[in-house]
This record gives sequence, structure tokens and C-alpha cells, in this order.
Amino acid sequence: MRGWRGRTATAYLLLAPSLFGVAVFLVLPILVVLWLALHRWDILTPSTFVGLANVVEVARDGRFLHSLVVTAVFVAFTIPAQTVLGLAAALLINRGLRGSAIYQVVLVLPWICAPLALGVVWRWILAPTDGALNTLLGTRIEWLADPALALPSVAAVSVWTQVGYVALFFVAGLRAIPPAVHEAAVLDGAGPWQRFWRITLPLLRPTTFFVLVTGVIASFQTFDAVYALTPKGGPQLSTDVVAGRIYYEAFESRAVGNAAVMALGLFVVLVVVTVVQQRWFARRTTYDLST
Amino acid sequence: MKITHLAAAVTAAIALAVTGCSPVAPADEPAQGDGPTTVTVRLWDQQVAAAYEKSFAEFERRNPDITVKLNVVPYSNYFTQLPLDVSSGTVDDVFWVNTTYFGAFADSGRLIDVGKELADLVPGFVPAAVEQYTRNSTLWGVPALTDGRIALYYNKAMVAEADVDPNNLTWHPTDPAADTFLPAARRLTKDSAGRTADQPDFDPKSIVQYGFNAGRDLQAIYYNFVGSNGGRFQDEDDAFVFANPQAEQAFTYLVGLINTAHVAPPAADTNSNGDFSRDQFIQGKMALFQSGTYNLKNIADGARFEWGIAPMIAGPVGRVSVVNSVIAAGHEASPRREAALRVLRWLGSQEGARFVGAEGAALPAVTAAQQAFYDYWHSRGVDTRFFGPEGGTLTIPAPSGPKYGAADAAMEPIFNEIFAGRIAVGPGLQEAQDAANAAVR
Repeated sequence: MRGWRGRTATAYLLLAPSLFGVAVFLVLPILVVLWLALHRWDILTPSTFVGLANVVEVARDGRFLHSLVVTAVFVAFTIPAQTVLGLAAALLINRGLRGSAIYQVVLVLPWICAPLALGVVWRWILAPTDGALNTLLGTRIEWLADPALALPSVAAVSVWTQVGYVALFFVAGLRAIPPAVHEAAVLDGAGPWQRFWRITLPLLRPTTFFVLVTGVIASFQTFDAVYALTPKGGPQLSTDVVAGRIYYEAFESRAVGNAAVMALGLFVVLVVVTVVQQRWFARRTTYDLST
Repeated sequence: MKITHLAAAVTAAIALAVTGCSPVAPADEPAQGDGPTTVTVRLWDQQVAAAYEKSFAEFERRNPDITVKLNVVPYSNYFTQLPLDVSSGTVDDVFWVNTTYFGAFADSGRLIDVGKELADLVPGFVPAAVEQYTRNSTLWGVPALTDGRIALYYNKAMVAEADVDPNNLTWHPTDPAADTFLPAARRLTKDSAGRTADQPDFDPKSIVQYGFNAGRDLQAIYYNFVGSNGGRFQDEDDAFVFANPQAEQAFTYLVGLINTAHVAPPAADTNSNGDFSRDQFIQGKMALFQSGTYNLKNIADGARFEWGIAPMIAGPVGRVSVVNSVIAAGHEASPRREAALRVLRWLGSQEGARFVGAEGAALPAVTAAQQAFYDYWHSRGVDTRFFGPEGGTLTIPAPSGPKYGAADAAMEPIFNEIFAGRIAVGPGLQEAQDAANAAVR
């Protein structure tokens, strides 16, 4: 019995650094957000307990719902585009053409760079007057100031930054497919398209699942690039993504309680979306490529 | 640790994480010790910081028991970080504040009562600055600098070519005969073929030279236009009242300059880049640029052409300017409160404040120290008298209120749409006013 207790104590001792990290950097912030959601606090004056009043206020104020819709549209723009382009890039890299290693590095560079800095650079490129893109096109398009163009423009920049990241995972996934499977298909007379649709794509489902889940979560939480490109929610709040709305609510309006409620709302949305994705893929994915 | 302090620390960490910035922590040494006490001073202006270095070197020579450490935080992040640091108790001993947050800090007891502690210095401060930062009958900081009155920078070659006298320009919202400004701005605006905006074939899609910097610029443009038309922005209780006929006329006139007369840059350029017009002027692509002393050094250093300064454009009731100032406030809960007060006393003295003016960095808000600023610019051949009383005496009160920052955040997107011409001025002002008043409740 003493030995069992001793081993348990040793185990907890070894786990302590990790547990400390989880408690301080994960559990504690969540508890603070929960506490904030139940209080009215403007950062400067003492907080007051208001129960669910913040929830009611956020529900009545249409801006949170609007930002959720904007974010959903943003996700609908970015996820299919970055997944398809990332897969296409990975297929090209996987062919082992000359210079593909350099291409791979160049492709990943935007993902490595700080999104805020990239946003500033793209803001210069997309500026209406004297912007590089308009100068190149010889026209004057208000890419970031026109409410109809702002979100697609921001989404395009986001896709540009993420394609390399997605491609990296697809390259790894492609290289994990046993060559024998493709060789057998060739012997059976399958053409390139048939092999892609019936072998490559199904066997990439674990990778696709991972890329989609992390991509959707990242897109729902996107902030930096959108903030740099179109601050304050953009023209007519057309780029008012939910992470930005939370930031503006907390640090500009100083309605920290409302921001906490919005953060919890985003958390619930992400859990639901992730569970749906997980269930959909669970029935269609195999991780065993040995048979 | 109070949970609000914990929450402030967590939210500060979140703010820092998302904006990618890191603060300089205030000195963590004890209030009393063997060595000199370090007092930290937070500000956002690099040019003034350079002047402060010299000022505090002299202060430290006279006060060997105190050293002063500067903490320059970029303006873009300054007012995101400041409330969090004040709330969590990690703010510097002395810090600059503008009207956006001063009311909230004062009301929550975070600032040293300068009106009481340094009462002997108060008569020496610029009266407009004292008025702006007096709340509940006391002054809550040492006026560090004042922007003076708004004036009109002009490109000498451009106004000469268009035969425009920048010293005598008047706008009028309803009487074209009394409006000398719009015809002048039209003559000063050119397309790529060299046609001016008053010519029939003028192409507004290929403008290479703008006449004026109308846009969503509170301090340089719309407050002054509203005031010069007899309008108000806030009432005595800090409530927003700008949905009034005079303000609507002023905004309509400004929006017309941009979207109808095409004598000012499109809002698409100026809404998201507050320095766009200044840069156009410096690059020789704009003839008239209405602004304050805060752009004087940039223009003096950047412009490669002959330029001058005229009084601001007059309106139906005259030249009504907003006069904005900045205070150096003391942290009431600082463990080095007495040392911080000595630093504040130095900043509020003629000797301490003159360094700011002597470097030409900004106009000190200590009246006796202002001559150093005028002398500096005179030595460089720049006539700055129109930033003072010679530019007019009428003023419109500067923004105020404990939650002005929240109101501004609510108003700004609507003003952006008004200047872009996507919302009609009247309903837009009403919507912005309602949003601003709701934000401060």
C-alpha cells in the first residue's frame, strides 16, 4: 500500500510542472473569464456582480451575432480555398520536381511571419491611392474600404498566409501513403484522376481532418491580420470578426463583462463545430494504412 | 491579490499577446533605500522624450537622490495598455494622459491631485489646459504640452500659382457669395492633365494635387468646422449633442469637399490612415493642410519646398479652434509618490518645461516656457504666431468625459461612413450621437 502511495506521489511530482502550466495558463484564465462574465467591470472602477445581465445585454445587442455571421462567412471563404490550394501545392511538391525544396520554403514563409506585420504590408499593397496593387493594375479599387470587397480581400490575405501551413501537412500525409497502394492501382489500370479520387484523397482523410479542425478553429479566432488590414471592424463592420469584436468590447469600450460573455459564446460555437467535424470524419476515416 | 487585479493582469496579458507589445515595467525598487529613488515617466512622443532626457539630466543634477527613467510607449498601443496598467497597479509613477481617459482616472482616484499638491504652480499653466483637465474643481495633472490653436500649413508655390491668399479664407455652408474657401480649394486641386477642379473637364478620378485635407480628423478638421459654424459637440455634462443644425451644416460642407467638389482625398484613404493627408502635403501633393503644432516638426523636416503657416480657415462665426493639451499625471498609489511629485513639480516649472520648447518638439503648456518654442522655430525661419492668439481667440471645448474613449470607439465607424458618403449626414450624426451617449452610460 505504501509502495502504491509512493508511486502515486512520485507520479504527481513528475506531473507537477505540466499540471502547474495547465492550471495557470489554461484553467485559471478560463475561470477568470467565467468570473468576468458575471460582473460589470470597466477596468478602472471596482467590479460589480450582475449575474446574467451581461448575457442578456450581449444577446440584445446585435453586434455579437453580426460578428459571428461575419466570421462564419470568413471561414466559408478561407477554409475551402486554403485547403484546396494547400493540397494542390502539396501534390506539386510531392512530385519532387527540381527546386521544390525552395518552393516549399517560400510557401511556408508567410505562415512563419507575424500576422500583424504581414497585415501592415498588405495594407500598403491594397491602399486605394498609391497602393502597389492598384498601381500595377492601373486602376483605383478600394479593396479594404469598400464594404463589398473588404471581407474577400482580408480572406484572400488570410488564405495566402495559411496555404503553406496546410501544404506542409498534406505533404506529410502524401508521403505516409504506401507506394504499393498506388502501384497496385496502376496495375489494375487506374488512371491519375481515379488514383487521386479513390486512393489519395480517402487516405488523406486523417490529414484533412486535422487541417480542417485546426483551420476552422484558427479562422474563427482570427484577429491579427484583420485588425491590421481593417481596424475597428472595417467599413460598415463588414470585417468585424468575433475575436476583433471581443477585443474592441474589452479594450476600447471597456465593457469587459460583455467581452467575456462573447468569448464564452465563441468557445461554445467552436466546441459544437469541432464535435460535428469529429463525428463526420470519425465514420469516414481510417488511420491504418498497413492493410 | 484582488480578483480585479488578477483579471487586469490576465486581460493585460491578453492585450499584450494580441497586439504583440511588451511594456517596460516600472522600477521595482523599494520606496526608500540607500541609492537614489528611480521615478518612471511614461509618454508616447519620441521627440518630446529626447527633450525630456535633457530636462531630466538637469533635474537629476539638482536632485541627486532621484533618477528618472523614461518609458516611451507607441501611441497606437498607449491607451490600450494604460488603463490595464493603472488598474493592476503596474503603471509608471508619472504618465501622460489626454482627454480620452483622464476623466475615468480622475474619477476612480488614480491620479495625484495636482491642483492641491502643486497649487502654487497652477497660475503658470496655460489656462485652456487647466480648464481641460480640471474636474470636480481640481486639476489632475501638470499640463505637459499644448497643441495651441489649429492653423493652416500651405505650399507657397501652389497658392501663388492659383492666386490664393491663404490668410483670408472663409467657408460658409449656405451663402456661396461669402464662401471664399471652396473656389480657392477648387483652383488648388488638379488632375493628371493639369486641369483644376473649377474647370468643366476636370477628372476627379485622376487627381494629382489636392486642395485641402478635409476628413475624419477630430482635432484638425471637424471640431473646428462645427465650432466655426456656431455648433457644439458636447454639453456641460459631457453628453454628446452634435446632432444639431450647425454641426450638420459643417459636416455636410466637409463631406461635400470630399465627395462632390473632390478637393480633398477620398475617405477610403484618410479613414484608415490618419497621416495620409500630412504625407500628401509633405510629398507636395496637397496645397492646404490644416493641422496643429504636433505636425510642425514632421513638416519642417520632411517638406522639400517652400511652405508657410496661415490662420485656420474662418467660418460664419469666425476662427473657432479646439485647443488640446496633454498632462503629465502622477500615480496616486505610487510607492514613490513624494519623488513623483518632485518630478511633476519640475515638469511644471519654467526651467523644466523649457527643454521641450527649446528643442522645438512641442509647445509647452507652462506659459513662461513657451517663448523657447517660438524662438526655436523663429531661428529656423518658421513663423508660428498663428498657433497662438494671433491665430484667433475663439475656442470650442476639447473632448471630455470619463468614458470619452468608449464614445469615440462607438462614433468612429459611423463617422467613417458619413465621410465616405455612404450614410446621409443628418441621420448619420444622429446615429453617432446616440451610439456615443449609449457608450458612456
